[in-house]
Amino acid sequence: MSVYVTVGSTGFDRLIQTVSGKAFLQALSSQGFRRLVVQYGTSAHKFEPPATWSDTHGISIESFDYTSRPSRLIEKADLIISHAGTGSILEALHSGTPIIIVVNRELMDDHQSEIAHELASSGYVAVAEPATLVDAIARNVYMGLVPYPAADPRPIGEIIDEETL
Amino acid sequence: MSLLSCIGIAACLTALLLLRIYFVLPAFGRDSKYASKRRKGKATVRASADMTLCVVLGSGGHTAEMMRLLQGVEFDRYMQRLYVVGDSDALSLDQIGIVERRGNTYNEEYFVERVPRSREVGQPWLTAPLSVARCLVRTASIFLDYRPDVVLCNGPGNCVVACVVALVPRILGLKRIPIIYVESFARVRTLSLSGKILYLLADRFIVQWPGLVSTYPRAEYIPHLV
Repeated sequence: MSVYVTVGSTGFDRLIQTVSGKAFLQALSSQGFRRLVVQYGTSAHKFEPPATWSDTHGISIESFDYTSRPSRLIEKADLIISHAGTGSILEALHSGTPIIIVVNRELMDDHQSEIAHELASSGYVAVAEPATLVDAIARNVYMGLVPYPAADPRPIGEIIDEETL
Repeated sequence: MSLLSCIGIAACLTALLLLRIYFVLPAFGRDSKYASKRRKGKATVRASADMTLCVVLGSGGHTAEMMRLLQGVEFDRYMQRLYVVGDSDALSLDQIGIVERRGNTYNEEYFVERVPRSREVGQPWLTAPLSVARCLVRTASIFLDYRPDVVLCNGPGNCVVACVVALVPRILGLKRIPIIYVESFARVRTLSLSGKILYLLADRFIVQWPGLVSTYPRAEYIPHLV
């Protein structure tokens, strides 16, 4: 089983640091994950996975800065750990892949945690912070999430039509 | 002519301009001709399908949402799509290509124009007037070239500039370009800065979470758009 970590077009130092740590890898391994793919954006300098095989707990690790096709990676993963960006969140919700949204309290404008908590309160996603992520994995917070309803953007087309009469 | 009369004339023109703006912006509820047409439910499709839809794109998150929203728009009616993209936004082109390649092949005609960002994230507000001015001039030139018929946007900074430019023909009594604004899915309890500004300028203001309607009664709540 594989995990895909994504921070979007910017960076998320504390998350990237957490996911390259031994505790995180051990938690993944104990839950049956064998593969970790990390999209680190501008946080490359924080990504320092363990050098020895035993420290990685048998997890094979791939990493890169950006991808132009995130949907492919999101669909193939068994768990997504993502920053609270709407693009990643929507991809995960619609592909049916469980997602843990990691909120970044260090951001000036914390409105992004609004969507994370709103979706979590309806059971669609799990939420964590970098400091609580390892514990969240160990507790399987990503199991038993509610499937997300399909989107219907046709009202937008109708509204545009109404306005251009 | 004396200085006093110049000032007097300038003051009168400004007052007239403000009055005109008051009467054309739907936010003030005086845009009655179009409001009553909608209330009568006149949803018949306009005969001419030759319209240009201007879509304003900014950074990644907004673009991803906008691409999902565009799935609900019939491109047959909007034979030309004009994508106005912020300069430093590299990721949008791929996504535009993906959403444009769907459907019939012969009705595809789309254009991508870059504008300098009106303000970069973290840019000091002191330098903002200069970058906004650059963005404004470039956007105005694009609008003059393409003459879009309707503007759709969802939040990036350059969309405020695009909407201001779109309002000029209306204020001058030349052409009414409707502005449709969809606030981001991420905005559950508060509006973005663009949203707060466009709440006053947009003809239709759509939000994706119900809690916003009590603070912003003009907003239309539509769930599950994305």
